[in-house]
Amino acid sequence: MITVENLTKKFGDITAVENIFFDINESEIFGFLGPNGAGKTTTIRMLSTLISPTSGKITIDNRDTHSNSEYIRSITGLLTESPGMYEKISAYDNLEYYSSFYNIPGTRRKNNIEKYLKMFDLWDRKEDLAGTYSKGMKQKLALSRALIHEPKILLLDEPTAGLDPESAHMVRTFIDSLKKEKTTVFLCTHNLEEASNLSDRVCIIKGKIIRIATLSELQNDDKNKRTEIIFADDAERYVKLMEEIGQIKNIHTEKNRATVVIEKPETSNPLIIKKLIYSGAEILYFNEIKATLEEIYLDLIKDEKIK
Amino acid sequence: MKKAGIIFKKEIKEVIRNKNIWLPILIVTAIFSIAMPLILILGSSSILKDEDTINFINKMFGQVGDPLKVLIGFALKQLLIFLLILPAMVPSLIAPSSVIMEKENNTLEPLLATPIKTSELLLGKSLTALVPALVISTINFIILTIVVDIAAFIKLGYAPLPTAEWVIVAFLLSPILSFILTMASIIVSSRSTDIRSAQGIGAVIIFPIYLIIGLQLAGFFLLNVTYLLIACLLLLLVCPLVLRLAVKIFNRENILTRWKMKA
Repeated sequence: MITVENLTKKFGDITAVENIFFDINESEIFGFLGPNGAGKTTTIRMLSTLISPTSGKITIDNRDTHSNSEYIRSITGLLTESPGMYEKISAYDNLEYYSSFYNIPGTRRKNNIEKYLKMFDLWDRKEDLAGTYSKGMKQKLALSRALIHEPKILLLDEPTAGLDPESAHMVRTFIDSLKKEKTTVFLCTHNLEEASNLSDRVCIIKGKIIRIATLSELQNDDKNKRTEIIFADDAERYVKLMEEIGQIKNIHTEKNRATVVIEKPETSNPLIIKKLIYSGAEILYFNEIKATLEEIYLDLIKDEKIK
Repeated sequence: MKKAGIIFKKEIKEVIRNKNIWLPILIVTAIFSIAMPLILILGSSSILKDEDTINFINKMFGQVGDPLKVLIGFALKQLLIFLLILPAMVPSLIAPSSVIMEKENNTLEPLLATPIKTSELLLGKSLTALVPALVISTINFIILTIVVDIAAFIKLGYAPLPTAEWVIVAFLLSPILSFILTMASIIVSSRSTDIRSAQGIGAVIIFPIYLIIGLQLAGFFLLNVTYLLIACLLLLLVCPLVLRLAVKIFNRENILTRWKMKA
Protein backbone atom coordinates (compact mmCIF):
# COMPACT_ATOMS: atom_id res chain seq x y z
CA MET A 1 0.00 0.00 0.00
CA ILE A 2 2.86 2.39 0.85
CA THR A 3 6.38 2.10 -0.56
CA VAL A 4 9.10 4.49 0.46
CA GLU A 5 12.41 4.34 -1.41
CA ASN A 6 15.61 6.19 -0.47
CA LEU A 7 13.67 9.10 0.91
CA THR A 8 15.66 12.15 2.00
CA LYS A 9 14.40 15.48 3.21
CA LYS A 10 16.64 18.45 3.86
CA PHE A 11 15.68 21.86 5.24
CA GLY A 12 18.61 24.01 4.17
CA ASP A 13 21.68 22.46 5.80
CA ILE A 14 19.66 20.29 8.14
CA THR A 15 18.87 16.74 7.06
CA ALA A 16 15.61 15.68 8.68
CA VAL A 17 15.55 12.16 7.22
CA GLU A 18 18.14 10.41 5.10
CA ASN A 19 17.67 7.50 2.72
CA ILE A 20 14.76 5.95 4.58
CA PHE A 21 12.88 3.07 3.03
CA PHE A 22 10.00 0.83 4.01
CA ASP A 23 6.99 -0.99 2.63
CA ILE A 24 3.64 -1.05 4.38
CA ASN A 25 1.04 -3.64 3.44
CA GLU A 26 -2.68 -3.09 3.13
CA SER A 27 -4.48 -3.21 6.53
CA GLU A 28 -1.16 -3.24 8.36
CA ILE A 29 -0.58 -1.10 11.43
CA PHE A 30 2.94 0.24 11.08
CA GLY A 31 4.41 1.77 14.24
CA PHE A 32 6.86 4.57 13.53
CA LEU A 33 9.00 5.27 16.56
CA GLY A 34 11.84 7.61 17.33
CA PRO A 35 13.00 10.33 19.69
CA ASN A 36 12.04 13.99 19.23
CA GLY A 37 13.60 15.38 16.07
CA ALA A 38 14.06 11.91 14.56
CA GLY A 39 12.09 12.88 11.44
CA LYS A 40 8.72 11.31 12.26
CA THR A 41 6.62 14.41 11.57
CA THR A 42 8.66 15.18 8.44
CA THR A 43 7.99 11.66 7.16
CA ILE A 44 4.27 11.88 7.92
CA ARG A 45 4.13 15.24 6.11
CA MET A 46 5.82 13.73 3.08
CA LEU A 47 3.43 10.77 3.11
CA SER A 48 0.46 13.14 3.22
CA THR A 49 2.02 15.17 0.35
CA LEU A 50 2.19 18.31 2.48
CA ILE A 51 5.91 18.63 1.77
CA SER A 52 8.02 17.21 -1.04
CA PRO A 53 11.03 14.95 -0.58
CA THR A 54 14.44 16.36 -1.45
CA SER A 55 15.15 13.01 -3.10
CA GLY A 56 13.67 9.55 -3.18
CA LYS A 57 10.23 8.26 -4.02
CA ILE A 58 6.96 7.52 -2.25
CA THR A 59 4.33 5.29 -3.85
CA ILE A 60 0.90 5.05 -2.26
CA ASP A 61 -1.84 2.83 -3.65
CA ASN A 62 0.42 2.18 -6.66
CA ARG A 63 0.66 5.88 -7.48
CA ASP A 64 3.61 8.20 -7.19
CA THR A 65 2.79 10.87 -4.58
CA HIS A 66 4.62 13.58 -6.50
CA SER A 67 2.32 13.51 -9.52
CA ASN A 68 -0.87 12.30 -7.77
CA SER A 69 -0.92 14.43 -4.65
CA GLU A 70 -4.61 15.30 -4.88
CA TYR A 71 -5.60 11.63 -5.19
CA ILE A 72 -3.28 10.66 -2.34
CA ARG A 73 -4.85 13.29 -0.09
CA SER A 74 -8.31 12.02 -0.99
CA ILE A 75 -7.49 8.50 0.27
CA THR A 76 -5.49 9.44 3.35
CA GLY A 77 -6.65 10.79 6.67
CA LEU A 78 -4.20 12.80 8.76
CA LEU A 79 -4.17 13.36 12.48
CA THR A 80 -1.47 15.93 13.16
CA GLU A 81 0.63 16.17 16.29
CA SER A 82 -1.05 19.44 17.35
CA PRO A 83 -4.51 19.12 15.88
CA GLY A 84 -6.29 22.44 15.78
CA MET A 85 -9.99 23.05 15.24
CA TYR A 86 -11.88 26.20 14.29
CA GLU A 87 -12.71 27.23 17.82
CA LYS A 88 -15.48 29.71 17.01
CA ILE A 89 -17.65 27.23 15.14
CA SER A 90 -19.37 24.11 16.43
CA ALA A 91 -17.82 20.66 16.44
CA TYR A 92 -20.42 19.55 13.88
CA ASP A 93 -19.65 22.51 11.59
CA ASN A 94 -15.93 21.77 11.86
CA LEU A 95 -16.50 18.26 10.53
CA GLU A 96 -18.99 19.50 7.95
CA TYR A 97 -16.44 22.04 6.71
CA TYR A 98 -13.50 19.65 6.39
CA SER A 99 -15.62 16.87 4.89
CA SER A 100 -16.92 19.20 2.19
CA PHE A 101 -13.48 19.12 0.54
CA TYR A 102 -13.86 15.41 -0.18
CA ASN A 103 -15.97 14.02 -2.93
CA ILE A 104 -18.57 12.37 -0.70
CA PRO A 105 -22.32 12.64 -1.26
CA GLY A 106 -24.14 14.85 1.27
CA THR A 107 -26.12 12.08 2.98
CA ARG A 108 -23.07 9.88 3.47
CA ARG A 109 -21.18 12.86 4.80
CA LYS A 110 -23.87 13.58 7.36
CA ASN A 111 -24.03 9.89 8.33
CA ASN A 112 -20.27 9.78 8.82
CA ILE A 113 -20.28 12.92 10.95
CA GLU A 114 -22.97 11.38 13.14
CA LYS A 115 -21.19 8.02 13.23
CA TYR A 116 -17.86 9.37 14.45
CA LEU A 117 -19.27 11.98 16.82
CA LYS A 118 -21.32 9.22 18.44
CA MET A 119 -18.40 6.79 18.43
CA PHE A 120 -16.23 9.27 20.31
CA ASP A 121 -19.01 10.36 22.71
CA LEU A 122 -19.23 13.86 21.27
CA TRP A 123 -22.70 13.72 19.75
CA ASP A 124 -24.45 15.31 22.73
CA ARG A 125 -22.15 18.32 22.46
CA LYS A 126 -22.09 18.55 18.67
CA GLU A 127 -23.51 22.09 18.63
CA ASP A 128 -21.00 23.42 21.18
CA LEU A 129 -18.19 25.62 19.90
CA ALA A 130 -15.03 23.58 19.42
CA GLY A 131 -13.22 26.17 21.55
CA THR A 132 -15.20 25.04 24.58
CA TYR A 133 -13.96 21.44 24.23
CA SER A 134 -11.34 19.96 26.55
CA LYS A 135 -7.99 18.85 25.12
CA GLY A 136 -9.11 15.23 25.05
CA MET A 137 -12.40 16.11 23.32
CA LYS A 138 -10.52 18.13 20.72
CA GLN A 139 -8.23 15.16 20.12
CA LYS A 140 -11.27 12.92 19.54
CA LEU A 141 -12.81 15.53 17.27
CA ALA A 142 -9.56 15.72 15.31
CA LEU A 143 -9.54 11.95 14.98
CA SER A 144 -13.12 12.11 13.69
CA ARG A 145 -11.95 14.69 11.16
CA ALA A 146 -9.19 12.36 9.96
CA LEU A 147 -11.72 9.56 9.51
CA ILE A 148 -14.64 11.51 8.09
CA HIS A 149 -14.02 10.51 4.47
CA GLU A 150 -13.33 6.83 5.33
CA PRO A 151 -9.70 6.92 4.17
CA LYS A 152 -7.82 3.85 2.97
CA ILE A 153 -4.75 5.07 4.83
CA LEU A 154 -4.69 6.71 8.20
CA LEU A 155 -1.62 8.73 9.22
CA LEU A 156 -1.68 9.21 12.96
CA ASP A 157 0.73 11.40 14.89
CA GLU A 158 0.33 10.72 18.62
CA PRO A 159 -3.34 9.71 18.48
CA THR A 160 -3.80 9.21 22.22
CA ALA A 161 -1.85 12.26 23.42
CA GLY A 162 -3.89 14.19 25.93
CA LEU A 163 -6.57 11.54 26.29
CA ASP A 164 -7.71 10.12 29.62
CA PRO A 165 -7.04 6.38 30.08
CA GLU A 166 -10.61 5.41 29.15
CA SER A 167 -10.64 7.49 25.96
CA ALA A 168 -7.13 6.33 25.07
CA HIS A 169 -8.26 2.72 25.44
CA MET A 170 -11.28 3.44 23.24
CA VAL A 171 -9.09 5.00 20.54
CA ARG A 172 -6.64 2.08 20.65
CA THR A 173 -9.48 -0.43 20.34
CA PHE A 174 -10.79 1.57 17.42
CA ILE A 175 -7.39 1.69 15.68
CA ASP A 176 -7.09 -2.07 16.13
CA SER A 177 -10.56 -2.56 14.64
CA LEU A 178 -9.52 -0.68 11.48
CA LYS A 179 -7.66 -3.80 10.33
CA LYS A 180 -11.00 -5.48 9.65
CA GLU A 181 -11.95 -2.58 7.39
CA LYS A 182 -8.64 -3.00 5.53
CA THR A 183 -7.43 0.43 6.56
CA THR A 184 -3.66 0.87 6.60
CA VAL A 185 -2.43 2.74 9.65
CA PHE A 186 0.84 4.64 9.95
CA LEU A 187 1.20 5.21 13.66
CA CYS A 188 3.69 7.71 15.08
CA THR A 189 3.81 7.47 18.83
CA HIS A 190 6.03 7.95 21.85
CA ASN A 191 3.83 5.52 23.77
CA LEU A 192 5.81 2.32 23.31
CA GLU A 193 3.24 0.15 25.03
CA GLU A 194 0.65 1.43 22.60
CA ALA A 195 2.97 0.75 19.66
CA SER A 196 3.73 -2.68 21.02
CA ASN A 197 0.07 -3.62 21.43
CA LEU A 198 -1.18 -2.21 18.14
CA SER A 199 1.60 -2.48 15.57
CA ASP A 200 2.10 -5.41 13.23
CA ARG A 201 5.60 -4.08 12.63
CA VAL A 202 7.57 -1.24 14.09
CA CYS A 203 10.13 1.01 12.49
CA ILE A 204 12.65 2.75 14.75
CA ILE A 205 14.09 5.87 13.21
CA LYS A 206 16.58 8.54 14.14
CA GLY A 207 17.11 10.48 10.93
CA LYS A 208 17.93 7.11 9.37
CA ILE A 209 16.14 3.81 9.79
CA ILE A 210 17.58 1.91 12.74
CA ARG A 211 15.42 -1.19 12.52
CA ILE A 212 12.17 -2.45 10.98
CA ALA A 213 10.74 -5.66 12.41
CA THR A 214 7.82 -7.29 14.16
CA LEU A 215 7.90 -7.22 17.94
CA SER A 216 8.60 -10.95 18.13
CA GLU A 217 11.49 -10.62 15.66
CA LEU A 218 12.96 -7.91 17.86
CA GLN A 219 12.44 -9.97 20.99
CA ASN A 220 14.10 -12.99 19.41
CA ASP A 221 17.28 -11.07 18.70
CA ASP A 222 19.97 -12.55 20.96
CA LYS A 223 20.80 -9.16 22.38
CA ASN A 224 17.23 -8.67 23.47
CA LYS A 225 16.92 -11.92 25.39
CA ARG A 226 16.84 -11.54 29.12
CA THR A 227 17.00 -13.86 32.07
CA GLU A 228 15.19 -13.02 35.26
CA ILE A 229 16.49 -14.49 38.53
CA ILE A 230 14.85 -14.03 41.92
CA PHE A 231 17.08 -14.83 44.89
CA ALA A 232 16.14 -15.49 48.49
CA ASP A 233 18.44 -12.62 49.49
CA ASP A 234 19.92 -9.46 47.94
CA ALA A 235 20.68 -9.97 44.22
CA GLU A 236 23.59 -7.51 44.28
CA ARG A 237 25.67 -10.13 46.14
CA TYR A 238 25.76 -12.38 43.06
CA VAL A 239 26.57 -9.81 40.35
CA LYS A 240 30.37 -10.37 40.37
CA LEU A 241 29.89 -14.12 40.37
CA MET A 242 27.64 -14.00 37.29
CA GLU A 243 29.98 -11.58 35.50
CA GLU A 244 32.77 -14.19 35.77
CA ILE A 245 30.94 -16.24 33.16
CA GLY A 246 32.01 -13.65 30.63
CA GLN A 247 29.09 -13.66 28.19
CA ILE A 248 26.99 -11.27 30.22
CA LYS A 249 26.31 -7.90 28.60
CA ASN A 250 24.39 -6.23 31.38
CA ILE A 251 22.99 -6.99 34.82
CA HIS A 252 20.33 -4.92 36.44
CA THR A 253 19.41 -5.60 40.06
CA GLU A 254 16.55 -4.46 42.21
CA LYS A 255 16.35 -5.89 45.75
CA ASN A 256 16.34 -9.67 45.31
CA ARG A 257 15.67 -9.56 41.57
CA ALA A 258 18.34 -9.59 38.84
CA THR A 259 17.67 -9.07 35.14
CA VAL A 260 20.54 -10.40 33.07
CA VAL A 261 21.17 -9.59 29.41
CA ILE A 262 23.32 -12.40 28.09
CA GLU A 263 24.62 -13.63 24.76
CA LYS A 264 23.33 -17.05 23.72
CA PRO A 265 21.14 -17.64 26.80
CA GLU A 266 20.43 -21.24 25.78
CA THR A 267 24.06 -22.17 26.47
CA SER A 268 24.86 -19.52 29.09
CA ASN A 269 21.86 -19.94 31.38
CA PRO A 270 22.77 -23.53 32.51
CA LEU A 271 26.27 -22.20 33.36
CA ILE A 272 24.80 -19.38 35.46
CA ILE A 273 22.51 -21.75 37.39
CA LYS A 274 25.38 -24.17 38.01
CA LYS A 275 27.72 -21.42 39.23
CA LEU A 276 25.11 -19.79 41.46
CA ILE A 277 24.06 -23.10 43.11
CA TYR A 278 27.70 -24.14 43.71
CA SER A 279 28.29 -20.82 45.41
CA GLY A 280 25.37 -21.47 47.75
CA ALA A 281 22.83 -19.03 46.28
CA GLU A 282 19.21 -19.82 46.99
CA ILE A 283 17.31 -19.28 43.73
CA LEU A 284 13.55 -18.82 44.08
CA TYR A 285 12.77 -18.20 40.42
CA PHE A 286 14.71 -18.45 37.15
CA ASN A 287 13.20 -17.69 33.76
CA GLU A 288 14.02 -16.47 30.30
CA ILE A 289 11.88 -13.37 29.64
CA LYS A 290 11.14 -11.32 26.57
CA ALA A 291 12.35 -7.73 26.45
CA THR A 292 9.65 -5.12 26.20
CA LEU A 293 9.53 -2.82 23.19
CA GLU A 294 10.58 0.01 25.50
CA GLU A 295 13.74 -1.87 26.52
CA ILE A 296 14.53 -2.78 22.92
CA TYR A 297 13.88 0.77 21.75
CA LEU A 298 16.08 2.32 24.43
CA ASP A 299 18.90 -0.11 23.62
CA LEU A 300 18.70 0.63 19.90
CA ILE A 301 18.65 4.39 20.42
CA LYS A 302 21.57 4.09 22.86
CA ASP A 303 23.56 2.01 20.36
CA GLU A 304 22.83 4.62 17.69
CA LYS A 305 24.14 7.39 19.94
CA ILE A 306 27.38 5.46 20.53
CA LYS A 307 27.83 5.05 16.75
CA MET B 1 -13.39 26.23 -7.90
CA LYS B 2 -16.20 24.89 -5.70
CA LYS B 3 -13.68 24.37 -2.91
CA ALA B 4 -12.58 28.03 -3.08
CA GLY B 5 -16.27 28.87 -2.61
CA ILE B 6 -16.44 26.65 0.50
CA ILE B 7 -13.51 28.53 2.04
CA PHE B 8 -14.94 31.91 1.09
CA LYS B 9 -18.37 31.05 2.54
CA LYS B 10 -16.92 29.99 5.89
CA GLU B 11 -14.41 32.80 6.19
CA ILE B 12 -16.71 35.62 5.18
CA LYS B 13 -18.97 34.69 8.11
CA GLU B 14 -15.98 35.06 10.42
CA VAL B 15 -15.07 38.41 8.86
CA ILE B 16 -18.63 39.66 9.38
CA ARG B 17 -18.49 38.60 13.05
CA ASN B 18 -15.08 40.16 13.68
CA LYS B 19 -15.42 43.57 15.36
CA ASN B 20 -11.68 44.19 15.06
CA ILE B 21 -12.17 44.43 11.31
CA TRP B 22 -15.36 46.46 11.32
CA LEU B 23 -14.46 49.05 13.90
CA PRO B 24 -11.58 50.71 11.98
CA ILE B 25 -13.66 50.57 8.78
CA LEU B 26 -16.57 52.35 10.46
CA ILE B 27 -14.24 54.96 11.95
CA VAL B 28 -12.57 55.66 8.59
CA THR B 29 -15.98 55.88 6.86
CA ALA B 30 -17.35 58.21 9.53
CA ILE B 31 -14.32 60.51 9.33
CA PHE B 32 -13.54 60.60 5.61
CA SER B 33 -16.94 59.98 4.04
CA ILE B 34 -19.22 61.88 6.40
CA ALA B 35 -17.50 64.27 8.83
CA MET B 36 -14.76 65.67 6.57
CA PRO B 37 -16.92 66.46 3.50
CA LEU B 38 -19.62 67.99 5.69
CA ILE B 39 -17.13 70.21 7.49
CA LEU B 40 -15.43 71.20 4.22
CA ILE B 41 -18.61 72.05 2.33
CA LEU B 42 -20.78 73.47 5.08
CA GLY B 43 -17.89 75.41 6.59
CA SER B 44 -16.57 76.75 3.26
CA SER B 45 -18.31 80.15 3.58
CA SER B 46 -16.45 80.96 6.77
CA ILE B 47 -13.17 79.86 5.18
CA LEU B 48 -13.80 82.37 2.36
CA LYS B 49 -13.97 85.21 4.87
CA ASP B 50 -10.25 84.71 5.39
CA GLU B 51 -8.26 87.04 3.15
CA ASP B 52 -5.36 84.60 2.80
CA THR B 53 -7.72 81.94 1.40
CA ILE B 54 -9.06 84.39 -1.21
CA ASN B 55 -5.48 85.27 -2.16
CA PHE B 56 -4.62 81.57 -2.40
CA ILE B 57 -7.59 80.92 -4.75
CA ASN B 58 -6.70 83.91 -6.90
CA LYS B 59 -3.09 82.73 -7.07
CA MET B 60 -4.02 79.13 -7.91
CA PHE B 61 -6.96 79.65 -10.29
CA GLY B 62 -6.74 83.34 -11.34
CA GLN B 63 -9.73 85.60 -11.03
CA VAL B 64 -12.82 83.41 -10.61
CA GLY B 65 -16.48 84.32 -10.69
CA ASP B 66 -17.60 82.10 -7.82
CA PRO B 67 -14.78 81.46 -5.36
CA LEU B 68 -17.00 79.19 -3.23
CA LYS B 69 -17.63 76.84 -6.13
CA VAL B 70 -13.92 76.79 -6.97
CA LEU B 71 -12.99 76.14 -3.36
CA ILE B 72 -15.43 73.23 -3.07
CA GLY B 73 -14.21 71.80 -6.38
CA PHE B 74 -10.65 71.96 -5.05
CA ALA B 75 -11.70 70.40 -1.73
CA LEU B 76 -13.43 67.54 -3.57
CA LYS B 77 -10.23 66.80 -5.46
CA GLN B 78 -8.42 66.63 -2.13
CA LEU B 79 -11.15 64.36 -0.73
CA LEU B 80 -10.88 62.09 -3.75
CA ILE B 81 -7.60 60.67 -2.53
CA PHE B 82 -9.23 59.51 0.71
CA LEU B 83 -11.39 57.17 -1.35
CA LEU B 84 -8.25 55.04 -1.68
CA ILE B 85 -7.88 54.43 2.05
CA LEU B 86 -10.56 51.76 2.42
CA PRO B 87 -9.72 49.61 -0.63
CA ALA B 88 -6.15 49.57 0.65
CA MET B 89 -7.00 49.13 4.31
CA VAL B 90 -9.63 46.36 4.15
CA PRO B 91 -7.43 43.68 2.49
CA SER B 92 -4.57 44.48 4.86
CA LEU B 93 -6.97 44.01 7.80
CA ILE B 94 -8.39 40.68 6.58
CA ALA B 95 -5.86 38.83 4.43
CA PRO B 96 -2.84 38.54 6.76
CA SER B 97 -4.92 37.10 9.59
CA SER B 98 -6.86 34.74 7.32
CA VAL B 99 -3.74 32.64 6.68
CA ILE B 100 -1.79 33.33 9.81
CA MET B 101 -4.67 32.53 12.16
CA GLU B 102 -4.94 29.14 10.49
CA LYS B 103 -1.28 28.60 11.19
CA GLU B 104 -1.57 29.79 14.77
CA ASN B 105 -4.61 27.62 15.48
CA ASN B 106 -3.00 24.58 13.82
CA THR B 107 -5.93 24.26 11.40
CA LEU B 108 -3.88 24.87 8.28
CA GLU B 109 -2.14 21.49 8.19
CA PRO B 110 -5.39 19.46 8.31
CA LEU B 111 -6.85 21.78 5.69
CA LEU B 112 -3.86 21.33 3.40
CA ALA B 113 -4.14 17.57 3.90
CA THR B 114 -7.55 17.58 2.19
CA PRO B 115 -7.70 17.25 -1.62
CA ILE B 116 -7.91 21.02 -2.06
CA LYS B 117 -5.60 22.52 -4.69
CA THR B 118 -3.23 25.27 -3.55
CA SER B 119 -4.75 27.57 -6.19
CA GLU B 120 -8.24 26.95 -4.75
CA LEU B 121 -7.02 27.77 -1.26
CA LEU B 122 -5.31 30.93 -2.51
CA LEU B 123 -8.45 31.95 -4.39
CA GLY B 124 -10.70 31.31 -1.39
CA LYS B 125 -8.44 33.28 0.93
CA SER B 126 -8.04 36.12 -1.60
CA LEU B 127 -11.79 36.42 -2.18
CA THR B 128 -12.32 36.68 1.58
CA ALA B 129 -10.25 39.87 1.57
CA LEU B 130 -11.07 41.16 -1.90
CA VAL B 131 -14.88 40.91 -1.89
CA PRO B 132 -15.36 42.87 1.37
CA ALA B 133 -12.83 45.45 0.11
CA LEU B 134 -14.83 45.97 -3.11
CA VAL B 135 -18.21 46.00 -1.37
CA ILE B 136 -17.08 48.35 1.40
CA SER B 137 -15.33 50.68 -1.05
CA THR B 138 -18.43 50.87 -3.22
CA ILE B 139 -20.69 51.52 -0.22
CA ASN B 140 -18.21 54.13 0.98
CA PHE B 141 -18.24 55.79 -2.43
CA ILE B 142 -22.05 55.87 -2.44
CA ILE B 143 -22.18 57.31 1.10
CA LEU B 144 -19.60 59.96 0.24
CA THR B 145 -21.39 60.89 -2.97
CA ILE B 146 -24.74 61.23 -1.18
CA VAL B 147 -23.24 63.27 1.68
CA VAL B 148 -21.31 65.59 -0.67
CA ASP B 149 -24.24 66.08 -3.05
CA ILE B 150 -26.75 66.82 -0.28
CA ALA B 151 -24.35 69.23 1.46
CA ALA B 152 -23.35 70.92 -1.81
CA PHE B 153 -26.98 71.16 -2.91
CA ILE B 154 -27.90 72.87 0.33
CA LYS B 155 -24.92 75.20 0.09
CA LEU B 156 -24.60 75.80 -3.66
CA GLY B 157 -27.79 74.52 -5.17
CA TYR B 158 -26.12 71.81 -7.27
CA ALA B 159 -24.80 68.24 -6.85
CA PRO B 160 -21.15 68.04 -7.97
CA LEU B 161 -20.72 64.25 -7.81
CA PRO B 162 -19.96 61.91 -9.43
CA THR B 163 -17.23 63.36 -11.58
CA ALA B 164 -15.10 61.40 -14.07
CA GLU B 165 -12.23 61.36 -11.58
CA TRP B 166 -14.41 59.94 -8.82
CA VAL B 167 -15.76 57.21 -11.09
CA ILE B 168 -12.22 56.22 -12.11
CA VAL B 169 -11.11 56.09 -8.48
CA ALA B 170 -14.18 54.19 -7.28
CA PHE B 171 -14.56 51.64 -10.05
CA LEU B 172 -11.11 51.27 -11.57
CA LEU B 173 -8.32 52.36 -9.25
CA SER B 174 -9.87 51.04 -6.02
CA PRO B 175 -10.45 47.46 -7.27
CA ILE B 176 -6.95 47.33 -8.76
CA LEU B 177 -5.48 48.60 -5.52
CA SER B 178 -7.51 46.13 -3.46
CA PHE B 179 -6.29 43.27 -5.64
CA ILE B 180 -2.64 44.28 -5.29
CA LEU B 181 -2.90 44.74 -1.54
CA THR B 182 -4.75 41.44 -1.11
CA MET B 183 -1.99 39.60 -2.94
CA ALA B 184 0.70 41.51 -1.04
CA SER B 185 -0.98 40.64 2.27
CA ILE B 186 -1.22 36.97 1.28
CA ILE B 187 2.49 37.01 0.40
CA VAL B 188 3.34 38.61 3.74
CA SER B 189 1.26 36.15 5.67
CA SER B 190 2.71 33.16 3.77
CA ARG B 191 6.25 34.26 4.56
CA SER B 192 5.69 35.41 8.12
CA THR B 193 6.82 33.30 11.02
CA ASP B 194 4.39 34.79 13.53
CA ILE B 195 1.27 36.91 13.69
CA ARG B 196 2.96 40.05 15.03
CA SER B 197 5.45 40.29 12.20
CA ALA B 198 2.62 39.74 9.67
CA GLN B 199 0.55 42.51 11.20
CA GLY B 200 3.60 44.79 11.33
CA ILE B 201 4.49 44.24 7.69
CA GLY B 202 0.77 44.45 6.76
CA ALA B 203 0.62 47.94 8.27
CA VAL B 204 3.70 48.99 6.28
CA ILE B 205 2.22 47.72 2.99
CA ILE B 206 -0.37 50.49 2.89
CA PHE B 207 2.25 53.17 3.63
CA PRO B 208 2.54 54.21 -0.10
CA ILE B 209 -1.15 55.17 -0.02
CA TYR B 210 -0.55 57.47 2.94
CA LEU B 211 2.46 58.89 1.10
CA ILE B 212 0.34 59.73 -1.96
CA ILE B 213 -2.29 61.35 0.31
CA GLY B 214 0.41 63.37 2.06
CA LEU B 215 2.04 64.49 -1.18
CA GLN B 216 -1.27 65.69 -2.66
CA LEU B 217 -2.20 67.51 0.55
CA ALA B 218 1.24 69.13 0.53
CA GLY B 219 0.49 70.43 -2.96
CA PHE B 220 3.00 68.35 -4.91
CA PHE B 221 0.27 67.37 -7.39
CA LEU B 222 -3.49 67.37 -7.81
CA LEU B 223 -5.12 64.21 -9.10
CA ASN B 224 -6.86 64.56 -12.45
CA VAL B 225 -8.19 62.12 -15.04
CA THR B 226 -4.83 61.81 -16.81
CA TYR B 227 -2.87 61.12 -13.63
CA LEU B 228 -5.49 58.64 -12.49
CA LEU B 229 -5.51 56.73 -15.78
CA ILE B 230 -1.71 56.58 -15.77
CA ALA B 231 -1.82 55.27 -12.17
CA CYS B 232 -4.40 52.62 -13.18
CA LEU B 233 -2.26 51.54 -16.11
CA LEU B 234 0.89 51.26 -14.00
CA LEU B 235 -0.90 49.36 -11.25
CA LEU B 236 -2.49 47.04 -13.82
CA LEU B 237 1.02 46.11 -14.89
CA VAL B 238 1.85 45.29 -11.28
CA CYS B 239 -1.21 42.98 -10.91
CA PRO B 240 0.13 39.94 -12.80
CA LEU B 241 3.47 40.31 -11.05
CA VAL B 242 2.00 40.18 -7.54
CA LEU B 243 -0.36 37.38 -8.57
CA ARG B 244 2.58 35.36 -9.90
CA LEU B 245 4.59 36.01 -6.76
CA ALA B 246 1.66 35.08 -4.51
CA VAL B 247 1.10 31.80 -6.39
CA LYS B 248 4.83 31.04 -6.19
CA ILE B 249 5.15 31.79 -2.49
CA PHE B 250 1.78 30.38 -1.43
CA ASN B 251 2.74 26.74 -1.64
CA ARG B 252 2.04 24.04 0.90
CA GLU B 253 5.61 23.50 1.97
CA ASN B 254 6.39 27.18 2.32
CA ILE B 255 3.43 28.09 4.44
CA LEU B 256 3.78 25.01 6.61
CA THR B 257 7.48 24.92 7.31
CA ARG B 258 8.03 28.66 7.72
CA TRP B 259 5.89 28.69 10.82
CA LYS B 260 6.87 28.12 14.42
CA MET B 261 4.21 25.66 15.54
CA LYS B 262 2.63 26.19 18.91
CA ALA B 263 3.37 23.41 21.37
